Amino acid sequence: MSNFILEIKGISHSYNEDDLSLDNIDLGILSGEKVAILGPSGCGKSTLLRLIAGLEKPKEGLIKINGLEVSNKDFLTPPEKRNVGLVVQEKALFPHLKVKENISFGIRKKSEKDTIVSDLLDLFKITSLENKYPHEISGGEQQRVALARSLAPNPEVLMLDEPFSALDKDLKETLYKEVSEVFLERGSTILLVTHDSNEAEIMTNKQIRMEHGQFL
Amino acid sequence: MWRLLPFAVLIVFTAPILIVLSSLLGDYSENWIHLYEYVLSDYLTTSMLLVLGVSFLVTILGTATAWIVSNYNFIGKNTFEWALILPLSIPPYILAYTFTGLFDPFGDANNLIRTLFNLQENSVFFPNVRNIYGAIIVFSFTLYPYVYLVSRTSFINQSTAMKDAGRILGLNEFQVFYKLALPLIRPAAIGGLMLVIMETLSDFGAVDHFAIQTFTTGIFRTWYGLYDFQTAMQLASLLLLTVGIFYIVERRSRGGKIYTSSNSTFSPIPEKRLTGWKALIAFIICFVPIFIGFILPIIELCIWTFEVNLEFFNYKFLINSMNTFALSITAGVICAALALLINFSIRFKPSFLIKKFSTLLSIGYAVPGLILAVGMVQLLVYLDSLVLSKFNLILTGSLFGLLLAYIIKTFALANSSIESAYERISHSLDDSSKLLGSTSWNMLSRVHIPLLKTGILTSVLLVMSDVVKELPATLILRPFNFETLAVSTYIYASEERMLQAAAPAVVIVLVGLIPIIFLSKMIRSSRPAGTDE
Repeated sequence: MSNFILEIKGISHSYNEDDLSLDNIDLGILSGEKVAILGPSGCGKSTLLRLIAGLEKPKEGLIKINGLEVSNKDFLTPPEKRNVGLVVQEKALFPHLKVKENISFGIRKKSEKDTIVSDLLDLFKITSLENKYPHEISGGEQQRVALARSLAPNPEVLMLDEPFSALDKDLKETLYKEVSEVFLERGSTILLVTHDSNEAEIMTNKQIRMEHGQFL
Repeated sequence: MWRLLPFAVLIVFTAPILIVLSSLLGDYSENWIHLYEYVLSDYLTTSMLLVLGVSFLVTILGTATAWIVSNYNFIGKNTFEWALILPLSIPPYILAYTFTGLFDPFGDANNLIRTLFNLQENSVFFPNVRNIYGAIIVFSFTLYPYVYLVSRTSFINQSTAMKDAGRILGLNEFQVFYKLALPLIRPAAIGGLMLVIMETLSDFGAVDHFAIQTFTTGIFRTWYGLYDFQTAMQLASLLLLTVGIFYIVERRSRGGKIYTSSNSTFSPIPEKRLTGWKALIAFIICFVPIFIGFILPIIELCIWTFEVNLEFFNYKFLINSMNTFALSITAGVICAALALLINFSIRFKPSFLIKKFSTLLSIGYAVPGLILAVGMVQLLVYLDSLVLSKFNLILTGSLFGLLLAYIIKTFALANSSIESAYERISHSLDDSSKLLGSTSWNMLSRVHIPLLKTGILTSVLLVMSDVVKELPATLILRPFNFETLAVSTYIYASEERMLQAAAPAVVIVLVGLIPIIFLSKMIRSSRPAGTDE
């Protein structure tokens, strides 16, 4: 039995019959490992994250999380039962909920909510924003909230889909450093997809290049 | 002159409404003691129960159908997307007539069941619908499209990434609907719901047919039963103030910024394909409201019409159709002309004050036809006694009052169509026109009107379809012995002559389909194209 927390074997996927978005992808990530997939827009890297999250069913191959098979072409464990996190460029914060409510959203145990939220607010330096709504805070602050929200349920794997691409350069540099420290401190397993090699090098210790739905 | 026009129109439009409200400052007759002791609590509780029941049902019907057609793909989905608004073409009073025709003890539905199962003649399968529950069903199945329309628009514009985030954070598909998607469309859905409530409180025809005591039937009874016009006006004022509250909530709900998604990127993905029993459930949920709110009444009306062969096609039917057509097209043309001139005046001489005041011109749409008619009667009596009798001219009981009430009630429809058409004309065209020496009239007739042709035509048609349906205002303000299709439908139905009521009702529904066709076209073109990575 492998020690991979995330294991992908022979995954292929397409949105239409003529064109394969992903072509026979294999990948294994160990617990605590930080991996980046680098590639241009449209190469299939976001599709891969959607498959891992359970938002799409693969046409071929299988996906295992923590040793359990969660997807193949005939079977799909729904996203809410996979215990993975996903942060996207558009942040996808719930606009009708305050910052602290957004962060606590995915925490199952009520007794742990306050402690976890308070720790994460502190960790991401956003305690002063806890009672604000997403539209009342800046883009960088929104991204911190999105990251905190994804970490709150303590996912097996946290996937980041171009999380900082909408931010300006200075803010990006600050966030790379701060967020990397948080991930290191928590021992999080990270799968980052980006087209920015600088971002990949700062935030991860292993980079894989991808083009036309295949790893190079 | 351009600056004065909106103010002048506003004075005319608000006069009957202010007259009704001013009655609250007048004397209170002894009839109030009778009302207070015997019927007022009935009016209040019935109206409240009706509003609560209808609100509950339209919220479920409107949001559930909107969610299904916005998020899933199944057999018939593309048709349901626009067909779900078809019940809007059926006025509640016509659905009420067909409901009693179908579900009364000897109605067609009960007869059919007795024949199919060879039951005894006194056996009744369907429950009595001539009560508040029947009224709740009738209003809900004709008015839910108001909630459906706004909910669908909101759902298809919701961020897919946000819904995905909900799934990843532990919500199943149903929880995503009621924990995320539904709270986010709340302001829009409340806006739609307020329109439903206003329509429910304004109705006279359906509640009168079901013999339910609401505020509108109460106003009628006080006026025509107790012959107390002042008290009727005071009751109308109370109803108007209630409707006013819902109107304000509806306007405010449009600006609910807090629930606007903070995400600027919209990333639609292909809808989820449903198969098997899930597709069947989705189909049934979407089909039932259309069946009850549109197909069933249409079938019943057609059966009634064919049962009388072509007997309905007589002199009276033709005269009533012509009356209806003449009134509706006159109201349509006047409304369109007024809307055109007012929008032009705002554009030609922009002023914050004029713009603000001009939005008040649409207030008539929220005022129940019955209240407008009550105010109009009083206004005409004032005018007759003050000025017109000196010139041997009596307006009370003439078509003038009826036409004016129609115009006040439907101006908002004409205005919204012309306003949006005007927004598409670049201001640089005005500048060029001015530089080339055009006067204001010249610019209007040679530049704007040719470009606004479609908008003007749409506004005339929208007004016509609404005027054709209007019942309480027509009943009160029509000249003696003058009938429209809505009035003759009402009279036949109140005499339980359903077969004769069918033909005018069919015409009303057909004309009511005009705006629905426009809306359907908009709906079919409103879904943003999907993008894949």
